[in-house]
Amino acid sequence: MSRDEIPPGTLYLLILKTLARYGEMHGFEIANSIQQHSEDVLQVEEGSLYPALQRMLIKGWVKAEWGTTAGNRRARYYRLTPGGRKQLEVEQTQFERVFGAIVRVIQPA
Amino acid sequence: MLLRRRHFDADLEEEMRLHVELRGQQQIDAGASAEEARYAALRHFGNVSSLRERSHIAWGWSWLENLVQDAGYGIRWMLRSPGVTLVALLSLALGIGANTAIFTLLNAILMRPLPVEHPSQLVLLGDGLDDGISDGFPNTGLYSYPFFRQIRARNDVFSDTAAAFSFIDNVHGTVQGRGEAEPMKIQLVSGSYFPLLGIDAAAGRTLQDDDDRIEGQSPVAMVSYAWWKTALAADPAVIGKRLTIGSTVFTIVGVTPPSFFGTRVGELPDLWIPLSMEKYIPPRLDGYNDGMSESLNLIGRLKPGVSREQAESNVNVLFQQILRGIPNAPVNSGTIAKLNKAHVELTPIPGGIASRIRWFFQTPLEVLMALVGLVLLIACANIANLMLARATARSRELAVRQALGAGRSRLIRQLLTESLVLALLGGGLGLGFAALASRLLVRMASSADNAFQVNISLSLPVLLFTLALTLATAILFGTIPAWRATRVDVSVALAAGRTQSGTASKGPLAKTLVILQVALSLVLVAGAGIFLRSLINLVNVDTGFHRDNVVRMRVDASSAGYKEDARLAGVYRQIEDRVKAIPGVRAASFSIFTFNEGTWNNDIWVQGYAAGHREIDVLHNDVGNDYFRAMGIPLLAGRTFGPQDTATSPRVAVIGETMARKLFPEGSPIGRHYGYQKAVNAGSFEVIGVVKDVKYFSLDEPQQCGDYLPYSQNIRYLNEFEVRYTGDAGAAITAIRRTIGTIDENLHLSDVGTLNQKIDDSLTNRRLVAQLSTFFGLLAVFLAAIGIYGLMSYLVNRRTSEIGVRMALGAERPQVLWLVMREILLLALIGLAIGIPLALAGGRLVSSSLYGLNGIDAVSLGAAVAVLLAMAALAGYLPARRASRIDPMIALRHE
Repeated sequence: MSRDEIPPGTLYLLILKTLARYGEMHGFEIANSIQQHSEDVLQVEEGSLYPALQRMLIKGWVKAEWGTTAGNRRARYYRLTPGGRKQLEVEQTQFERVFGAIVRVIQPA
Repeated sequence: MLLRRRHFDADLEEEMRLHVELRGQQQIDAGASAEEARYAALRHFGNVSSLRERSHIAWGWSWLENLVQDAGYGIRWMLRSPGVTLVALLSLALGIGANTAIFTLLNAILMRPLPVEHPSQLVLLGDGLDDGISDGFPNTGLYSYPFFRQIRARNDVFSDTAAAFSFIDNVHGTVQGRGEAEPMKIQLVSGSYFPLLGIDAAAGRTLQDDDDRIEGQSPVAMVSYAWWKTALAADPAVIGKRLTIGSTVFTIVGVTPPSFFGTRVGELPDLWIPLSMEKYIPPRLDGYNDGMSESLNLIGRLKPGVSREQAESNVNVLFQQILRGIPNAPVNSGTIAKLNKAHVELTPIPGGIASRIRWFFQTPLEVLMALVGLVLLIACANIANLMLARATARSRELAVRQALGAGRSRLIRQLLTESLVLALLGGGLGLGFAALASRLLVRMASSADNAFQVNISLSLPVLLFTLALTLATAILFGTIPAWRATRVDVSVALAAGRTQSGTASKGPLAKTLVILQVALSLVLVAGAGIFLRSLINLVNVDTGFHRDNVVRMRVDASSAGYKEDARLAGVYRQIEDRVKAIPGVRAASFSIFTFNEGTWNNDIWVQGYAAGHREIDVLHNDVGNDYFRAMGIPLLAGRTFGPQDTATSPRVAVIGETMARKLFPEGSPIGRHYGYQKAVNAGSFEVIGVVKDVKYFSLDEPQQCGDYLPYSQNIRYLNEFEVRYTGDAGAAITAIRRTIGTIDENLHLSDVGTLNQKIDDSLTNRRLVAQLSTFFGLLAVFLAAIGIYGLMSYLVNRRTSEIGVRMALGAERPQVLWLVMREILLLALIGLAIGIPLALAGGRLVSSSLYGLNGIDAVSLGAAVAVLLAMAALAGYLPARRASRIDPMIALRHE
């Protein structure tokens, strides 16, 4: 099974987008969701999610609260803040600009 | 914070554990075995400890934590090998301490601001390099009191102006309630001096303008805190105490604050007395109302918003006006032309007026600063090698940690932190060492009559300097080893197991460091060589007088109440005769100067010389009839002074050979005439004799023009008394003291010693450089020897098995010895090849501080090369011998 590393710098975007879509999620759910939505193409090195989430907490893009999973396990749930929503737009615009540019470069004229 | 930290760790741990478990569950659901599932989940998750670390970094905690952890680690390492640590710490402490000590002195004499109000606003008229009394016209260095009065009243640029005598009066006075007269150093100042500086009295009051209005009407004095403590035994009732100098009774009105030492670094007067009392303080100059008695330094405080340039132009306009208005000025076309060209420079003096100490010690201290900088570099190279060896020994540990996910930058930071701990400990020790060393330096720089009195207490600039130095050393000796040690191929290092893996890289770098040490040591040793040889050259200089077996002292007739009249000449004559009658005394004479005490000079006019006025500086001395015998100055032609030269006989002079050659190039100078200052004086003195040239200020000066007049024909205060004796100096001094005491017990002697001591004192600064550069040179050689020994021991260890094989194959011990020695000598030779041009360049840099040498000479350089080769051979011999004694069997098993 071959899976691709996510492009550098897009991890924040993926997390932000996932949280925007589903509201509240714990780390494993976020990782799973990214994997499924990309139809198993994008592979987050799963652990690196956690330092990234810590950094996003510090930046105030997400908030975290401890809750319980369906299987009755304690889990830390993450939720977007208004700042996170704004950041999502920023990251998305930037991504589209860069990605569009790359596509224009590599497409045949 | 650590509590929060633990909480945070637990949360993160739980979160990540949940993740791995859920992923594992997913795998099991998909049909994997529990073992497989767990393994896959962990593999997908990544390196847990690395992730944890990254999370910590995100919170910014890692910095302090790592620091504490690394520092602890560093200290533990240092304790594990105490011998190595001791060597490293000692060389660091010596290096940093020596640098700090020299910097402390440089800071004290050059940079430390005066402890007065806003020192940056203070400017001096002129450059402050002259001191003494002058009647030159115009004079832009020294000023008269009438000039001061006018410039103070008429300038628009200073908030106030103050005057201070350009030299300290050394007199004797008696404090009320104490029988004995004692020496005291007096600084005459204007009433505005203390208010201008913003100095308040620690007790009583400061001198004020009211003390300086009417000549002779304010016999008051302020005493220094130090003098109050010592001479007055911290007497609480000091204010109002009386003090007799000559026949004048002064009242002590105040004590200066402890930090105040005057306005020239290193002088530290005992008393400050208003200039209105100038005539009553020996040497009793009558300058208060004489516009041509120029003896003052003038200090101005710039008004806010006035620049130095603005002030300078205002002062120069006034300078021209005031000098033209001085009633007794020698105004003629020549002097007016000079005046038109004269320009007064305003010198900022935040650190005080240029002082003897600054002039005497600035260059030597700067040279020493450069030398100790090199010593520190050599020490750093040693420690870098130690760190490198240690990092190499730890290469496996570092590889394991990198394999476990430790970031390279994190490892580098750890190694650097350990270096920093070492450096900070070394710096701390160095600071303590510097406190001792700077005191020792002060003692070395002091001479009998010139105590090196500067403030060497710890100051902020010194602390910052030491801190910067410490950090710089840590970076110097820590960076490359740290960078090097972490640049390993993890798999290779691990695969190589426990043998000396990854160590191949140590060789070249360590060798480079040793080569650097040899090169720098050569510079230091060669430097020590030239400073020593320069000093020897100076000691062997022909002074013109015969320096051995002469006792000299200062006799203060002025403080004893004598005036410059026949009675003074009588007492001088009486002392000379009575001392000469002491058994063992060959000759005794008074004079104004002997050696290194200054002189004075005048314009010379020669009779019968067409151009009349000769622009030659002639240094004068007034002497007794026996002076040339007492000093051992050979007579070359004519005669010296005798009883036939009296106050009523024609005035006569003895001149030096250089003066004879310059003034009277043709024919014999004997019988010719010359005079001072004015054309009409050209016939004043008849030349009766020519003597050998002598040195006046210092041993390295060129031949000077000098002349001598007999005091029998014109009496002045002659403070110096010289006696040529045979036998023991101490006995001679005791006998002389007793004899003078029986003639007049009020005549106070001071600065009693031999002429040789006087000469030694003039070399204090050069001796300081020679001694310290020798010490630092030896230290450098010692440090380099440690470096070579360490490196060679290491290399021999590494080559144990190779040597074993060679010996098994039949190599003889001498061959093995040579194998190792060859490597050492090669390193030493490369180091010398680099060091020689460096030493030559360094020698050129200091050539102005040398005497009789032009930069590095062959002898010094050759000696330095020999010393370093011997050192390298010795330091390398021990490891080489160890190598030659390797038992092949043991060595091969070693693998």
